[in-house]
Amino acid sequence: MSLDFSWLGDSLYQYWLLRGLGTTIVMSLLGIVLMLVIGVVGALCLHFKLPVLETLTTVLVELFRNTPPLVQLFFLYFMLSEAGLTLTDPVSGREVPLFSGFTCAVLSLGLYNGAIAVEIIRSGLLAVPLQTVEGARSLGYTPTQTFRFVELPIGLRLSLPAMTNNVVSLIKTSAQAALVAVPDIMYGATQISLETYRTLEIMMLVWVLYVALASVAVLALRQIGNAVRIPGYGVRVS
Amino acid sequence: MTSEWRAFIHGIIAVPLLLAGLLFAVYGAETGSVGAQIAARTPLLLTGSSDLSSLSGGFSANIIISFWAMLLSIGFGCILAVGLIAETKMVRVPSEILMNALRNSPWLVVLYAMLYLLPFEMTLFGSTFFLSPLVKSVIGLSLPAAANVAEVFRGGIESVASGQWESARSLGYRRLQILRHVILPQALPLMTPNLMTIYTMLFIGTSLVVVTGTSDVLSVVRVVTGSDGAHLATGLYIYVLLLFFLFSFPIAIFTRSLERRVRAR
Repeated sequence: MSLDFSWLGDSLYQYWLLRGLGTTIVMSLLGIVLMLVIGVVGALCLHFKLPVLETLTTVLVELFRNTPPLVQLFFLYFMLSEAGLTLTDPVSGREVPLFSGFTCAVLSLGLYNGAIAVEIIRSGLLAVPLQTVEGARSLGYTPTQTFRFVELPIGLRLSLPAMTNNVVSLIKTSAQAALVAVPDIMYGATQISLETYRTLEIMMLVWVLYVALASVAVLALRQIGNAVRIPGYGVRVS
Repeated sequence: MTSEWRAFIHGIIAVPLLLAGLLFAVYGAETGSVGAQIAARTPLLLTGSSDLSSLSGGFSANIIISFWAMLLSIGFGCILAVGLIAETKMVRVPSEILMNALRNSPWLVVLYAMLYLLPFEMTLFGSTFFLSPLVKSVIGLSLPAAANVAEVFRGGIESVASGQWESARSLGYRRLQILRHVILPQALPLMTPNLMTIYTMLFIGTSLVVVTGTSDVLSVVRVVTGSDGAHLATGLYIYVLLLFFLFSFPIAIFTRSLERRVRAR
């Protein structure tokens, strides 16, 4: 079997792939931000054992972790598009649906990986040495201040290795957004393979792109981990 | 009552209630009629046939696919793991590259690749096999899972003390014999929770086989929304969420208690 990459020379295909790459990157970044927000808020609810919110967080985390992200995406897509909210595009002045496929994909990525992030950050918080917390309390920090200035900063650093896996999984999961017609890499790739039938070559390229994205994410997180490392504290990202 | 039991009881009661509340919030006064329509379609969603005569479609197809894919991936993962711990670089490096390639690719990409790469039918030992979308999706799902299985196997094998290797070696065992008779019996209990986590992941991943045209639960949902009206879609997806949850949540809880017992040892 000989490999034929001549379709890469087509400017339309290049445009599709580049647009797809941009969409995937933006979608993943927004998803990561949402995931972190959900993770921190959820871990906060669990950590302080807030009366109703703790149970709600536990239940939601179980729900999102044990169901397929694809079904969550379809569910959000159909439920929110039925709600039919629109907003006016400031550039063109047209009415565009507020919950497009893109928004739903970001939401579903944030929710699914956010549920995992809750568990990761919670175990990071549990790994903070008790002496450190007691030291902060004896210096007169209130529980909130202890959480804000001592437990959360150390806990987030401790959860960085597991969080790296979660970010990679988010980037991989983002491929399914193509199924609700978000023009990401996967969508462009399926379009091209329907026109050229060079499935093996296209899937190889897509695979290389996703591996490259994941590697960039891993390297970036390692840089962040090294930059925020507390010297002598033994918190290190391998 | 252990903490897992409590978490199980909480989850198994609260999540269906939550989903029911969601259904009510979406449909309001229509909840009853929508619920009745979904209930009428339940046999189709569960088995792909309206009179429960076959089990080849719908949610049972997901379970069957996940089962076969897990078996295949354990077999393939074992071979890959042996390659990963091989002494010669000639075997180890290619296996590592293969494992990382499979682990880092999105499952959807592998599924698509298998869908178009595997032939429509193939001839083996003179007999011709027809490769249905179901078979293709089983193979497509088992490849990334096999990479994860191999990683778990390697971790489990490496967690057995090296003295075991040396003493078995001094008794005259060969490398594969040591693996089979000495290392694996000790490593298997350690690996079981991780393997079960991979199974849950795989089961959740079976929702992706809708792209191959297998009649899994999501394709059945598409058919039902096509015939009964698009307003049912939200309700049907809530129902599918519930189905997946009811299957994988008990496994997840069981895994957690097993993990605790293994760690306590």
